[in-house]
Amino acid sequence: MIEMTIDGIPVQVEEGSTVLDAARFYGIEIPTLCDHDGLSSYGACRLCVVEIGKGENAKLVSSCTYPAETGLNIRTNSQRVVSARKMLVELLVAMCPSSKTVQDLASAMEVKQVRFKVDKTNDCILCGLCVRMCEEQMMAKAIGFVNRGKNRKITTPFDKKSDVCRTCGGCLYICPACELRCQGPAADTDLCNACVNVQPVCLKEEDNKMCFLETCGWCYEELGRKNNKKEIIKK
Amino acid sequence: MKKIKTVSDLKQIKETLTQNKRKGKTLITICGGTGCHASGCDKVISAFKRELKKKNLGNTVDVKVTGCHGFCEKGPIVVIHPKGIFYKQVKTQDVKDIISDTICSGKIIDRLLYIDPLSGKKITYEKDVPFYKGQERIVFADNGVLDPYKIEDYITIGGYTAAAKALTSMTPEKIIDEIKKSGLRGRGGAGFPTGLKWESCRNAKKTPKYIICNADEGDPGAYMDRSLIEGNPFSVLEGMLIGAYAIGANHGVIYVRDEYPIAVQTMKNAISQAQQYGLLGINILNSSFDFDITIVRGAGAFVCGEETALIASVEGKKGEPRQRPPFPTQKGLWGKPTNINNVETWANIPHIINKGSQWYAHIGTEKSKGTKIFSLVGKINNTGLVEVPMGITLKEMIYGIGGGIPEGKSFKAVQTGGPSGGCIPKELLETPIDYEKLKEAGSIMGSGGMVVMDEDTCMVDVARYFLEFLQDESCGKCLSCREGTKRMAEIITDITKGQGKDGDIELLQELATTVKDTSMCGLGQTAANPVLSTIAYFRDEYETHIMDRKCPAGVCRDLYISPCQNACPAGMNAPGYISLIGEGRFTEALALALDTNPFPSVCGRICDHQCMLKCRRNQMDEPIAIRSMKRFIGDYVENDITYPKAQTPKHTMPFKVAIIGAGPAGLSCAYFLSRLGYQTTVFEKLPVAGGMMAVAIPEYRLPKNILQREIDNIKKLGVDIRLNTQVGKDITFSQLWSQGYQAFFVAVGMYGDRNLGIPGENLENVIQAVDLLTDINLDKPVTSPAGKKVVVIGGGNSAVDAARTMLRMGAKEVTILYRRTRREMPAYKEEVEAAEHEGVIIKFLIAPEKIFGEKGKVKSIECIKMQPGEFDNEGRQKPVPVPDSNFFVDADILIPAIGEFSDVSGLFTGLDVEINRDGTIHCDKHGRTSIPGIFSGGDVASGPATVINAIAAGEHAAVTIDQYLTKDRNRTYIWREHKKIDTFFDPEAEPVQYKMVRQKALPPNERKGNFDEVEIGYTKNLAMKEAKRCLRCDLEIELQEKIREEKPVEAS
Repeated sequence: MIEMTIDGIPVQVEEGSTVLDAARFYGIEIPTLCDHDGLSSYGACRLCVVEIGKGENAKLVSSCTYPAETGLNIRTNSQRVVSARKMLVELLVAMCPSSKTVQDLASAMEVKQVRFKVDKTNDCILCGLCVRMCEEQMMAKAIGFVNRGKNRKITTPFDKKSDVCRTCGGCLYICPACELRCQGPAADTDLCNACVNVQPVCLKEEDNKMCFLETCGWCYEELGRKNNKKEIIKK
Repeated sequence: MKKIKTVSDLKQIKETLTQNKRKGKTLITICGGTGCHASGCDKVISAFKRELKKKNLGNTVDVKVTGCHGFCEKGPIVVIHPKGIFYKQVKTQDVKDIISDTICSGKIIDRLLYIDPLSGKKITYEKDVPFYKGQERIVFADNGVLDPYKIEDYITIGGYTAAAKALTSMTPEKIIDEIKKSGLRGRGGAGFPTGLKWESCRNAKKTPKYIICNADEGDPGAYMDRSLIEGNPFSVLEGMLIGAYAIGANHGVIYVRDEYPIAVQTMKNAISQAQQYGLLGINILNSSFDFDITIVRGAGAFVCGEETALIASVEGKKGEPRQRPPFPTQKGLWGKPTNINNVETWANIPHIINKGSQWYAHIGTEKSKGTKIFSLVGKINNTGLVEVPMGITLKEMIYGIGGGIPEGKSFKAVQTGGPSGGCIPKELLETPIDYEKLKEAGSIMGSGGMVVMDEDTCMVDVARYFLEFLQDESCGKCLSCREGTKRMAEIITDITKGQGKDGDIELLQELATTVKDTSMCGLGQTAANPVLSTIAYFRDEYETHIMDRKCPAGVCRDLYISPCQNACPAGMNAPGYISLIGEGRFTEALALALDTNPFPSVCGRICDHQCMLKCRRNQMDEPIAIRSMKRFIGDYVENDITYPKAQTPKHTMPFKVAIIGAGPAGLSCAYFLSRLGYQTTVFEKLPVAGGMMAVAIPEYRLPKNILQREIDNIKKLGVDIRLNTQVGKDITFSQLWSQGYQAFFVAVGMYGDRNLGIPGENLENVIQAVDLLTDINLDKPVTSPAGKKVVVIGGGNSAVDAARTMLRMGAKEVTILYRRTRREMPAYKEEVEAAEHEGVIIKFLIAPEKIFGEKGKVKSIECIKMQPGEFDNEGRQKPVPVPDSNFFVDADILIPAIGEFSDVSGLFTGLDVEINRDGTIHCDKHGRTSIPGIFSGGDVASGPATVINAIAAGEHAAVTIDQYLTKDRNRTYIWREHKKIDTFFDPEAEPVQYKMVRQKALPPNERKGNFDEVEIGYTKNLAMKEAKRCLRCDLEIELQEKIREEKPVEAS
């Protein structure tokens, strides 16, 4: 057994587990996007960063790949970790504002502004879950990454229909970005933030509906409020 | 070929080879490095071979094509041994002379010798070239004498003795211990101790083990690994052999970029030769150790220099890093323990084994040992490869070995460590080069790229360039690096296009810190360095780009209209008035000049014309004579002046502004304020207005009536000038306040003369230059120099002015003594030349020590000779006295002219205005002092500067005062708006080359005994001819816009 501390709590984990495994086992929440049980860890989304080391040697590492070591002092919620994560989520929203997962992460972390130019055409966050799903679970290797840097994308070889793809849908199933954010009337703003701002009204009124498929209603509320204001001014 | 099976075989072969080499035979080595290839060494090599054959010298003279010598700037390089005669930039037509003169008759060919730019002396022998002198070459030592295609050459100079020693007499543990003790650290950039890495790999349990040589050098401007492989591949192989033995690896990989075809070729050849000799393969040197090497060629991805990405690439996967730990020494190539070192690290190993760790550890600093090869490139005189001991300062590197910045420009920053390194500014040039100190300065050692940048470089643009590179080269695996570099590049590109926003700098810093903290591999972790370091050291440049929409260096094309206008502190629209002159519309031209500068005729005579230095026509023939042109319109139009528009015609502001000092700054401020409708009063302590323009500049450079004319023009706008009124003495600030003045602009200039600080200064006839010039200009009585010997001390404009004035007043002999060299003289070059023309003697590298008098009057001066010593941060060599070189100079009058200082004591009675340590008034770039309502500018705020700088400071202050009084920061100012000129210009016409039309000058004999203006202005025709030379850079953006607008029409 390996003994270490997470957020000041002494923990014990089995040899071979990662810091993320240990934190999850003890119920300490670390946000992730590219991590999935049953797939190898990849370390691409960087959201799971935690702080280790002391003083000048303190650094951020990705907890999904960092092996648990005896004596590690892990901080999952230090100032440095939180501000780094917020910036990463801000980058994610700017990159893929249509994803509900990303929007929810932003709300959960109280990211309230996006200071970058928002790319409204993009719907992939390049987390690589589908690529690993295809290779590791479906044994197909039908898709992979091509190009590098800002041109990086996921596709089949030479962008041609793949012979090895069995159209199993595993890639769609695992994709965290496919699920669209609410498409309500005010959906042209980059950040929704409804979850941190209001109690979803749809739950109260139409509790048999699945919230994430329909609009949560906040935009209607907001719209109404704005209209009211205008009317008041008019009067 | 006989195999080398044992150590004695190696010795024997070495002996036979040495015996075969005839002693004293002439050897011509020609550099065949990449740099010299580019400058055409191929042709030179074949010319040599042809010529030798023709002369039948094949048996007595050897020709050897070697690897890179390092001095790529002067390639192709030819060195003739055994004497070591050094010829630079050899062309095919020189070959014949070299053979017939130097080889056959031992004559040195003068024209091919290298000239030291500092001393101007010609240098004959390689060892005396200053570029090589400052270096300490260990790894690179044999590059210039070795044929990279002959392993025998390497064996002759003692190659493979280290391997023999290691494999036969040392245990692997002993070797690792030796490397650890030597303190060698990874030369790839991160600087991890090599010994520890080896140990960790040796101790790893899994087998087999691998070693890799990382030759994936991809930094822009760096080519030391390439040159090392191209020049001496054997040392790398030997180092790898020793390392493999120590680690216990039987297979090695050299990962080299495919873009390095010569390197791949030499390395392939070296491996096959080593295999033939049995120095690679089975049972090497009878040690029962087997080792072989394969070459893997990289496809040119920058990220593959990162070790985990490199391993992925070798395995045939996409070149992407993976998260460490586990480190490659535990889990590397094919999941087995792998030790990766850089080319240079491997090449260091044989030297450490041969000479011992103690020898190695004494070179360098406490934590960084040995030497490091740098590729010194960019805006530097001696471009090339440099091997220096660790701990040498950047200053020595750039000014000493590098020979300084070309064309006398000033140094701005040096970027170490390639695209992910940081930019180190002038202030930190004392930084010693080692891993820790460079990191402290916000940069990295990297693999050794060193890009020097001069004043013409825009630091925001530099950051943009490197970010563009990094966002293309980022593999894109992790979010922070892919998106981070992309967004940083996006923001910076916006800034360079004039679309920057408030808060951009802070956002960049925040983003850069996140990218640095959270990225997966070294590329992302260092990608923020260019941004963070340029913001840290050049934040004002970013602010100027964002707030003022200006690029001071004139690089970001969207931010300036023409280079000359951008260079002018006052922003004068030179292409505008020049094109008007070209069409003969002189009145309009003068009105345009007057729009931004109330003193066009003054500036047309004494400006330091920074505009002309940036003129694009410089690249073609000579700059446009902008200064003379300005002088011409002022003189030609003379009294027919159209005054520039006032901002608020017939409308007055309800505020009164007091301006203290009627110099260029004060009068300009009054000029612009009155155009805004303010009531301004200028208080001047002297009986004349004009400040230094009136009193310190002799009449032969600036006639008084010209200055008076322009001051009168200002007066006509309603400015009230009160002479003989000293604020602080005749009237105080509180009195002015009670008279209703609500804002104050202090521009009193510098008026204290600096003393020499040597004994005898109080003697009669020791007269400070500015005092002397002032007295003459104010027609006060001065000691007549007629028939006397005058000595002036100093090298600035006042020194030259004083000297020329004395000569005009009849001095028998005038000598200027300056403690530095001519190159470093701050006076205008043309003034110095004119002074010498008139008969002033200028002596350099001389400093006064003591003044001797007779009957209270100066008699002689004891001087000491100086020599150039250490470099300062500006690249000037500090003068150091030569011991026992004292001598005497006779003088009847001594004029110290070593500068002025500011003295504002007594000015601000009862006011707590912050004063800088050098006596200048502390204020921000907008001219605000520590007390609201009091503003300052000109020399008293900035220290000694030029007239045009003072005019600009006055304009800035006028704007700041206006914003302060109206409390409106968004006001626009008509003179700051760009005015389109409706002159004709044919953009299709090819410019014709002809040189600048120069102004005529009075012959020197006509200048004696009078103060007539020396330079004679243009005639109308000459001015119009010169005006036509202008390339009209100001139309570039306008034309581009036009083309853009027209395009869709064409397409349809």
